[in-house]
Amino acid sequence: MNFDLLFEKAKVKGIEDIQVYVDYEDGLSIQIFNGEIDKYTISTTQNLTVKGIYNSKMGVVRSEEINDDIIDFIIDSVIASANTIESEDEVFIYEGDKEYKEVKGLYNPELDKLDVKVKIENIKILEKKLKAIDKRISMVQAVYQQGTGKVIIRNSKGLSLEKISNNAVVYAYVIATDGKDQRMVVEYEMSNDYSDFDLDKLAQKWVDRATSLLGAQPCESGEYEILLTNTASAELLSSHTSMFSAESIQKNVSLLKGKIGETIGSNNITLVDDPFIAKSTQSGSFDDEGVATSYKEIIKDGVLKGYLHNLKTAKKDGVKSTGNGFIRGISPTNFYIKPGKLSYDDAVKSMKKGIIITDLDGAHAGTSPISGDFSLQAAGFLVEDGKIVRPVALITVAGNYLTLLKDVTDVCDDLKLDMRYIGSPSVKIKSLIVSGT
Amino acid sequence: MLSKKLIKKVLDAALTTSADFSEVFIEEKLSTNVSLISRKVEKSSNSKTFGVGVRIAKGYRSVYGYTNSALEGDLIKLATDLAQSFPGESQNIEFELEEMKVGNTHKIKILPSDVSIDEKVNLLKRADNAAREYDKEISQVSVTYLDYVQKVWIANSEGTYVNDIRVRPRLAIAAIAANDKIKQTGFNGPGGHIGFEFFTEQINVEDEAREAARVAIAMLHADECPSGKMPVVIDNGFGGVIFHEAMGHSLEATLVAKGGSVFSGKKGTVVASTLVTAIDDGTLANSWGSATYDDEGNLQKRRVLIKDGVLNSYMIDKLNAIRMNDECTNSGRRESYRYAPTSRMTNTYIDNGESTFEEIIADTKYGLYAKKMGGGSVNPASGDFNFSVSEGYMIRDGKIAEAVRGATLVGTGSEALLKVDMVGNNLLSAQGMCGSASGSIPTDVGQPTIRVSEITVGGRKGSN
Repeated sequence: MNFDLLFEKAKVKGIEDIQVYVDYEDGLSIQIFNGEIDKYTISTTQNLTVKGIYNSKMGVVRSEEINDDIIDFIIDSVIASANTIESEDEVFIYEGDKEYKEVKGLYNPELDKLDVKVKIENIKILEKKLKAIDKRISMVQAVYQQGTGKVIIRNSKGLSLEKISNNAVVYAYVIATDGKDQRMVVEYEMSNDYSDFDLDKLAQKWVDRATSLLGAQPCESGEYEILLTNTASAELLSSHTSMFSAESIQKNVSLLKGKIGETIGSNNITLVDDPFIAKSTQSGSFDDEGVATSYKEIIKDGVLKGYLHNLKTAKKDGVKSTGNGFIRGISPTNFYIKPGKLSYDDAVKSMKKGIIITDLDGAHAGTSPISGDFSLQAAGFLVEDGKIVRPVALITVAGNYLTLLKDVTDVCDDLKLDMRYIGSPSVKIKSLIVSGT
Repeated sequence: MLSKKLIKKVLDAALTTSADFSEVFIEEKLSTNVSLISRKVEKSSNSKTFGVGVRIAKGYRSVYGYTNSALEGDLIKLATDLAQSFPGESQNIEFELEEMKVGNTHKIKILPSDVSIDEKVNLLKRADNAAREYDKEISQVSVTYLDYVQKVWIANSEGTYVNDIRVRPRLAIAAIAANDKIKQTGFNGPGGHIGFEFFTEQINVEDEAREAARVAIAMLHADECPSGKMPVVIDNGFGGVIFHEAMGHSLEATLVAKGGSVFSGKKGTVVASTLVTAIDDGTLANSWGSATYDDEGNLQKRRVLIKDGVLNSYMIDKLNAIRMNDECTNSGRRESYRYAPTSRMTNTYIDNGESTFEEIIADTKYGLYAKKMGGGSVNPASGDFNFSVSEGYMIRDGKIAEAVRGATLVGTGSEALLKVDMVGNNLLSAQGMCGSASGSIPTDVGQPTIRVSEITVGGRKGSN
């Protein structure tokens, strides 16, 4: 598409300023089942989002068809969309920042160059290893997925930005059976450096995860000390990220309204939004509005320091955008609780009677970022006198996320980011209500 | 749109190696999304989707590729690249595409794309007003109007050539009730496979909005739910999510075919209480999960999954039918051209029984009445499922007592439906979005009021 032509025509029609955002993606996915390729998918896609200011309102249109033939459709849609907007918030097309930090390690050309046959061979080997390690592994599906994405932003104020990143994820569904009980886990590893995938190590870890849950039974209902593993804690954080968005604050749907400077968590909680970490597709020097991104501590030592902003919410609050303005709304980049010093094993040893929660399910329905209340299906292990006694499943844990943040008694050193690049180390919590038998 | 000639060329290019089946899926979709919050229209956008998916199979093994390009060169290249996955001599499959069949079993009177944006905005305002007027404690309302007209063309090397048009408008209303200390939400999201007449002929926008507000207010004044095992009466409508999670997903061929489901190999055996008959019906007129054709170009149909407690049928797509050596139930669905189809639910519900709602409540000495359900999820290998209760009440001595909030129900699919001991006669369905292997698709869940004799309830109050 000829963007200059689009900008020109838009101007003629009365659109004050206009911006295009295009993302291109090449994808590959290979799924192995019983030693054979079960699913193999290749893709080439593109997605255009155009925003334009018309009568001081922001109109938006999206299209997967990108060519000069749709320019009129784009312009008409931007105007129609702007005409319906009633919100009086000031809107912006950004001229750009003076400087954008160079972020290293987002694109690894070696990953794209590596022959697909090698990728197929290795994922087959992983599937085989997963089945060979333990007789109780009854079914495995192993998947290799890779994507290379390019984003470009151009606008009528002369801004021109580009970002390329790639990423691969190896994951597997592993089912373990002991004749009486059957358990499935889905485990993954992400990187854009193929040599980071240590298949032996991954296979052993994942098999241990699947088999360790066999024979899990509910435990007695009650209030227990809890060790939330890194992935379980990330799952919970992920459900509550909108609490930290300035948009939620301004719409009065967040419990954190007016709480900047207040203690909202235990003093060992520091929550970071970090756009500069290597090998993450969420990293980058600019957000989707073209604003330079920055490293920031949203919670420092338990104290709420600020919210995530885009251009619009920042203007409203009289602050600078934090570089969190994305196409789908305000969202974090890489968002994680900073690790502490305690090892996971020592955390287990320090529990008198408690539960390690390794899995939380149903977060899309069982949590509410508006009330902070959650009640979720959980699985994990019962601990007595610092030792794991048995696996537990089909229990629920219930609480409130802000109360939980205050009740964190210690933070482990095992930070892990999930597939949405939201992460946490394992955290110890004073107590949660558990419902079982 | 691609010409029939080009589609044929792509299908042929896909069969130049040893594959025995090829399929082209073309999608053109125009959607509108307008949302209002704080009494003002805040967001509004149109989206145009266009893409082509090519699938090639040999037996049940398949490969898939997709692109936004409609150019002959790109599509032929995609097909031949994919064909490399099946090395060997071509099977020389000869076929001609049939005359194109057009799906028309769901009557659409007014295409949403022919309706002005102002009329759509008007729905948002009506809903907003009605929800806010319901009670002073309603502090915020957000309403989103969504619609799309999705046109798909499906052609394959068996000669199938169909065009189906799916028209789905939906109104999603979230009301928030607040006092000094807490905020609670109520949600209601009616929709259908129907034209814009949905908002005049089938629903009353104000009633739907008041319903969201009613739940938010009820939950603002509710106590925390106790936890522990107890009888639970699950109301009709979205309550049907229990079947969807507890059994529905585990009856999809996706996992059954590989032997990974708790219900693999259980056809003909008792898997639920004899009071339970469950149906997945993609033909229900103008229902949210309906379509004329599935996403493999086969006519949608009605499937009796469970008959009087006995497992009668799985939901099976074309390729899994080969893997399972069972009959295809035309259950192939996908979110868009970005997904290969697989077996999925459509409108799934537990059928009517004989008890009345009043009889079920009166027969329950102590338990939880789950009037409104939120969503849930399941691990289909273990069958362990959960779903949240968005509006609950305690039942004491056969009477509905105080409101309770924050409950989640957990159980095992292989057991929960065996424990159904009463089934009502007030079948009702509700709309949801279901996420799984082939993306997020519209599905209806439904049931009459049912009672489960014992299920684990997780709340924040702790055990009594």
